[in-house]
Amino acid sequence: MAAKLVGFYDVLGKELGLMARMKLALLTKISSSDAMSAPDSPANIQLFEKSVTMIRKELGKA
Amino acid sequence: MRISIKLKGLLLGVVVLFVGLSAVLLTQLRVRASGYDELLQNPVRQADLARVAQVDFKKQVQEWKDILLRGHTPEDLAKYQKQFHEREAQVQEHAAALGSAVEDGESKRLLTEFSEAHKVLSAKYQAAFDAYIQGNFDFKAADKMVRGQDRPPTDLFDKVVARLDARVHEAVEAQRMSVAHHRNLALTIVGGLLVLLVALGFTVVHSITSRLARLKAVSDRLARADVDGLSIDISGRDEVGEFGESLRGVHAAIKELSTLAAGQASAAS
Repeated sequence: MAAKLVGFYDVLGKELGLMARMKLALLTKISSSDAMSAPDSPANIQLFEKSVTMIRKELGKA
Repeated sequence: MRISIKLKGLLLGVVVLFVGLSAVLLTQLRVRASGYDELLQNPVRQADLARVAQVDFKKQVQEWKDILLRGHTPEDLAKYQKQFHEREAQVQEHAAALGSAVEDGESKRLLTEFSEAHKVLSAKYQAAFDAYIQGNFDFKAADKMVRGQDRPPTDLFDKVVARLDARVHEAVEAQRMSVAHHRNLALTIVGGLLVLLVALGFTVVHSITSRLARLKAVSDRLARADVDGLSIDISGRDEVGEFGESLRGVHAAIKELSTLAAGQASAAS
């Protein structure tokens, strides 16, 4: 299980809600259910971090 | 490679092929036209000149007969004698011109022989003419002196005309063969290039349309939010690949939405 990737969804969901989770799925192309089986690879983590930063900036809470 | 580059490349290929083939065909046309010009300038012209000289000689013989049959008054005699000598000079002039123009050795030899025979015949005509005058217009005696004498030069010239006609036929046949050969070669090359272009175009178009069809199928399922078991395996570094990549994001978002909706539904129940 990719705990780190799933963690991004949990944190962002609590912070910014449903829209943020959808945007994260759109940008990373990995849904939270797929994130459970996806590896916590450096590339994936970097992609999620970059996407989270973009979403926070876009939704005004960066 | 991007689709726009592939299509532009294909179009450029068609244009280059068309321009190249046009240039080759125009060059071939010019070469064939110059071949026919050469044919008209040499063998055909020489054969025509030979026929003109042949007719001149026949007219010269006719003028001799006019002298004998109609030259009974001084005026008529002077007229036909003048015409006879004009024809005689024309025959020599045309035979000499033809002799210098023809390349065929045998024709050259026959023309030289003809010129010599014609000069001998001219001397005989002159002797017969003198006898005609001195014999008080005795045309029978004059005719007897040259009867049948024009046959050997006529036969020689007939041979020249026949040889030159044969050369014209040979040259025309050679030109026809050359044209047919180059036409077949051009058809083979054009046909081959056309087949190659069609195959290349078909491959490019098929690679685009088949992937677009897969993209449409994925898009239709996403439009229905039918994401269960959906796998988007459309990749590539072109526009279709980029579109497939975008649809992967949409797919993930719909899945995420479904997951959240399912979670809320179970929490509510």
